[in-house]
Amino acid sequence: MADLTVDLGKLTLKNPVMTASGTFGYGFEYKDYFDLRRLGAVVVKGIAMKPSHGNPTPRVAETHGGMLNAIGLQGPGVEKFLHGDEYMPFLRKSGAVVIVNIWGKSIEEYRDVAARLEAEKEDISALEINISCPNIKEGGVAFGTDLNLAHQVVAKVREVTSLPLITKLSPNVTKIADFARAVADAGSDMVSLINTITGMAININTRRPKIANLTGGLSGPAVKPVAVRMVYEVSKAVKIPVIGMGGIMDGDDAVEFMLAGASAVAVGTAIFADPYAPLKVIDGINAYLERQGCKSVKEIIGGMIR
Amino acid sequence: MITGEIVSNTILKDSYYKVEFFVPEICAETQPGQFVHVKIANLRDRILRRPFSISDINENGILTVIYKVVGEGTEVLAGLPAGTVCDLMGPLGKPFSLPRENELPVIVAGGYGSAATYLLAKRSPVKGILLLGARSEADLILTDKFAAAGFDVRLATQDGSHGHKGLVTELIPPLLKEKSGQKIRFYGCGPTPMLMALSKMLQKNGFGDGEVSLDHLMCCGVGACFACVVKIKTDNEDGWRYARTCKEGPVFTADEVYTDGE
Repeated sequence: MADLTVDLGKLTLKNPVMTASGTFGYGFEYKDYFDLRRLGAVVVKGIAMKPSHGNPTPRVAETHGGMLNAIGLQGPGVEKFLHGDEYMPFLRKSGAVVIVNIWGKSIEEYRDVAARLEAEKEDISALEINISCPNIKEGGVAFGTDLNLAHQVVAKVREVTSLPLITKLSPNVTKIADFARAVADAGSDMVSLINTITGMAININTRRPKIANLTGGLSGPAVKPVAVRMVYEVSKAVKIPVIGMGGIMDGDDAVEFMLAGASAVAVGTAIFADPYAPLKVIDGINAYLERQGCKSVKEIIGGMIR
Repeated sequence: MITGEIVSNTILKDSYYKVEFFVPEICAETQPGQFVHVKIANLRDRILRRPFSISDINENGILTVIYKVVGEGTEVLAGLPAGTVCDLMGPLGKPFSLPRENELPVIVAGGYGSAATYLLAKRSPVKGILLLGARSEADLILTDKFAAAGFDVRLATQDGSHGHKGLVTELIPPLLKEKSGQKIRFYGCGPTPMLMALSKMLQKNGFGDGEVSLDHLMCCGVGACFACVVKIKTDNEDGWRYARTCKEGPVFTADEVYTDGE
């Protein structure tokens, strides 16, 4: 077994594999499948100040090599997350490394959620700031496609918490590296990318959009080359650690992201196909390292040869 | 996840198919109304699983699914020969509750909603009535199985090719007259408009308890992704919330179903 531990600034993980926010619920939903402590980290579905309904249905559509979704950040709100049985109290007991994804409809709401979590941060290892959800009108991607706003959100959150901050970036911009620089400058300790790519699909028989929200975010293997390219560009542009994701189905996909410069990876859509996908990715990375004669996974980070 | 070999996969009637999987682990735990989430072998370029209601199970570990070919997934499934191994998650979801001794079970099914309620009929301690509606005679399936399970089968077709001409819900008022004084427990499974109509009737008239099986496009099957939600009445300022049919359902009480504006 190769050494799989990775260092993400102040945060050390036993292995580089996390779950992508929104694809693994709050961990509770998969408790009967495997011990959550086997993951590098569990990144929970986005948390805002208040409960929210999310978008009307249909919310998903399958596409070639992937899927579109416009769930619209349905969620319990921060109070229920902190105290409801199926949320943080469960995660505390599980012993998992927990990263809480946060979002808001205003800069102040991002700050308030972060402050609320900071006040009860026991067993929370980091916050991931979602400035890139393409599926809600207010908040989300509005902050992730404007350099100035992206900087402001992160700076405000930085003021109220000492937890490591990850900022999740949108691929729906012309130069993603500029956004990575902006949030690093505002105090983000890491960046994660990519969130989903805005897409659309139409049922030609009914002539209606396949998703009630009209557009949705594309994920799955279809987006992987775009994601690898963006991880490469960002890792060249900033010194902070990069968490790569976008269509990772197996260990070889994860290795590709790490060679492009990612210090860790997240598995998302693959979990819908196979709940054990994150564990198989961990095993696959290890198998690659053994094949290549590497003692540590750190040896492959940014290891692409030109 | 469990790997299950296809034991048989044959045409049941017209575009309806019956596939049997050998999955003793799933059979041992299955209750009526639950589903399996299947990764269809040989379905290239598609990554999601497909949910199927469990129609029947037996003591030999055989699980039966009745399906209609409606898209790429079911088309590929229909072509899989016996011996093919698929990967299944299940049994998933909240089951129907069995009728109590003093209750007459009335199953109201539309289309192949009869498939998803067959195990309920088989396990019901009281033999009841199946009201089954469909577009046409060709879409009425499993009626002989329900009859063999001791159920009184009453049919409706929209084109009048078999039984009452019209909607299946139109069979309910005469049934109520006939069974007046008897405690009825309704079970609904079928197209959403039918289930909304049934839930509305039950909410308005209060002539019996009822449960309906709702569904929507599903991804994870375990409550993680929030794709398959439906509106359920809740004590909040809007009067409803989106509940996950895979985890909190697919079976909901008719009282809970949010029918306003539907």
